[in-house]
Amino acid sequence: MSTPLTWLRRAIQAGMLFVLGQWSFYGIFRCPYPVPFVDCQVCPVITCWGRITTLFWGFWLFIPLSVILFGRVFCGWFCPGGFINQLIGKASFFKLRVRNRMTKMAPFALLAGLGVALLLWLGLGNPRWMVPIRIGEFWPAIGLSFEHASPFWLVRTFVVLGLVAAGLAVANLWCRFACPAGGLLEWIKRIALFRIYKTPDCNDCDNCLKICEMGTRPDEANCTNCGDCLRSCPVNAIKIGRKRG
Amino acid sequence: MTAIAGGNKRRKEGIMQNKYDGIDRRKFLKTAAVSALAAAAVPGRLTAASFQADSLQVWSCGGLAEAFNKANEVFEKRTGIRIDYTGAFAAALGKSLLGGAKTEVFAGRVLKLTQKLRKEKKMIYFRPLCFTEYVLVTPKGNPAGIQSIEDLARPGLPVILPLGASPPGGDAVMGILKKARIEKAVLKNTVEKETCVIKTMPKIINGQGQASIVEKRLTRMADFEGRVEVIPIPETLFPPGPLTFTIGVMKYAGDRALADHYVDFICSREAQELFARQSFIPAFSERGRTLVEKLGVEDA
Repeated sequence: MSTPLTWLRRAIQAGMLFVLGQWSFYGIFRCPYPVPFVDCQVCPVITCWGRITTLFWGFWLFIPLSVILFGRVFCGWFCPGGFINQLIGKASFFKLRVRNRMTKMAPFALLAGLGVALLLWLGLGNPRWMVPIRIGEFWPAIGLSFEHASPFWLVRTFVVLGLVAAGLAVANLWCRFACPAGGLLEWIKRIALFRIYKTPDCNDCDNCLKICEMGTRPDEANCTNCGDCLRSCPVNAIKIGRKRG
Repeated sequence: MTAIAGGNKRRKEGIMQNKYDGIDRRKFLKTAAVSALAAAAVPGRLTAASFQADSLQVWSCGGLAEAFNKANEVFEKRTGIRIDYTGAFAAALGKSLLGGAKTEVFAGRVLKLTQKLRKEKKMIYFRPLCFTEYVLVTPKGNPAGIQSIEDLARPGLPVILPLGASPPGGDAVMGILKKARIEKAVLKNTVEKETCVIKTMPKIINGQGQASIVEKRLTRMADFEGRVEVIPIPETLFPPGPLTFTIGVMKYAGDRALADHYVDFICSREAQELFARQSFIPAFSERGRTLVEKLGVEDA
């Protein structure tokens, strides 16, 4: 069921893909460090979007602000990776829109992803694992990156690409169970001033769950406040705003 | 008879003169006027038209990337030729080229690599391009009062060195320390062995380390310029290997004339000024010429 809000979200996601997509591309294929987007200010890759624009600092200011206002809204509305994952998820074999132990454990899997990223970044100092192609043509630069990367970088990159590709089996697998940034936002999203939530009128019919790309219900683990479920409730028990009580 | 003979002689001389010059004055003026009009109408396209290709693939050592970026911009604007440029760790690019990768022009670091490419007949010729040099950097104001490289051995001085960086980054720094015979003491002082030469700079700027040894070019990068103190290191301590940059035309050059023209431009005084601005020593400069001779940077 596509509501005008969903279309608006898709338009914003497409816009953000245009704006931030290049940065995501560099993060996966050209970033010489295991954890991308955190060392852009000292990165040797000159042409990376994170270096040539002021997005690096703006990005890190925007995300906390978005969390304070709407929790994990970045994942559902702005993240180019999220958008790609959601599109892949449309063709996925298992949508996994159920409530079971595994889906309940999702935040812990995200935290594990966050833990690995923090260990690599802060624990090991985000070591350079690949010969940086400072400037290069699109395909040759990707080819050279893979050709001259250390085995660690190759493992890191294939794990990420593998998990994204696994989204064809389980919808949004990367966003729901692996993304370190998503893990961080999931962990702190409770501080949000506004959110989409269920009222006590909820009768657990799970209509909202059945349409959710993240396979969750409002204000539960992995909810990104995307708003797709706002019109799905037969008893009008889904609201947006400040949750009281 | 004499007059006819004289006329014939003059005509003959004229024909010969035309043959020699290839074009007569009237034709020359006409062509020049038309060319000038065309050049004015389509700025930058005049040279492009004189080459078969409309683009040139250039690979260079990553350290030269900032300078190449600027030089390529000038070349593209002037000729209308697109430069498909890749700048990365020269040894890696060299390995690829020796392994079968192709590019039309290659500006590499370390003379031995270029000579190997020549020996394997992958490169047609090369010319000296520029040289790098190493300096000491300290936080602004030089709080530890570093005067010379020997001061790095002062007990307890926190030093950050890019020893984990790919060669020649770490190796060159170790070479300098060994030549100065202070490597053991400095290694004791080393609080961090950085994996990336560029990552060393912010740590010196914010005072995590009181000194480091880096290539001078790093101190001219936009993010770091004017944010550290720069102290020279005697040239006698530099390891010769990583100092030299050359530029050469590869056998894969699709349009040889274009590749030659590009190399001429990069080696020209105008382009070399751009390299000098990034703290490289141009090959044409007096110091450059001395280094060309000293390091034997010549094509066999």
